[in-house]
Amino acid sequence: MASIQGTSPINIAISGLRAENRRMKVISTNIANSATTRGPDGKPYRRQMVQLSTDPDGGVTVRGVARDLSTPLQRVYEPGNPDAAEDGYVEMPNVQLPVEMISLTEASRSYQANVAVMKRYLEMVDLTVELLK
Amino acid sequence: MVNKPEMVDLLTAGMRGASARQRAIADNIANVETPGYRRKTVPFEQALARALASGDVPASLQTKVMMPDTTPVDDKGNNVDIEMEVGELVKNSSTYKTYLRMLSKVYRQMELAMTVQ
Repeated sequence: MASIQGTSPINIAISGLRAENRRMKVISTNIANSATTRGPDGKPYRRQMVQLSTDPDGGVTVRGVARDLSTPLQRVYEPGNPDAAEDGYVEMPNVQLPVEMISLTEASRSYQANVAVMKRYLEMVDLTVELLK
Repeated sequence: MVNKPEMVDLLTAGMRGASARQRAIADNIANVETPGYRRKTVPFEQALARALASGDVPASLQTKVMMPDTTPVDDKGNNVDIEMEVGELVKNSSTYKTYLRMLSKVYRQMELAMTVQ
């Protein structure tokens, strides 16, 4: 069955599911590290974002994960913190929980939408297959 | 145009391939967390196309299970992606259903021809 192979809507929906899965991983990393003052480079954690690209066949791929360097780090006055500077301020990650929660909802809704595409396409194919009955 | 017995052979070969693939997908899903596991694929369409091109009878076609070891793996050495497997499963069931429906259609046509008075 050639139409089901190759770049069928199912394959495109799968690429969407994989991208949203990756996005959700990145969001959970951001949430888990919302107060991490030492990231992999020893500096405060910076929120990460997925970079998506369109495939030539219409699907989506995660080009990479980039760090948000433009949103400034938050400065919190916490003189007791061992990571505090001379003036008592600690640089906290630029993760904002409300923003992350919205992205999370977005990612899970997009995931659902891709599942819906897959289901609806299957129903369509089934209609044709049932003609053979 | 293929005649009826050849069509039955073709469809059964396809169904055998699809059920082998179903097993491979079930294996992959079961091993989604197994360290070092690599996903299995059953490229039976290519084998079927080759057999048809060389004029072989597809009834004797063997389905091979491949385990490519060149795909990138995660930190556990596993390359199974649950979304991909579910998608393959969905496509494969649809393919199997089509073969099955066509097979029953062929048989019904034969039956019809036999019952003509």
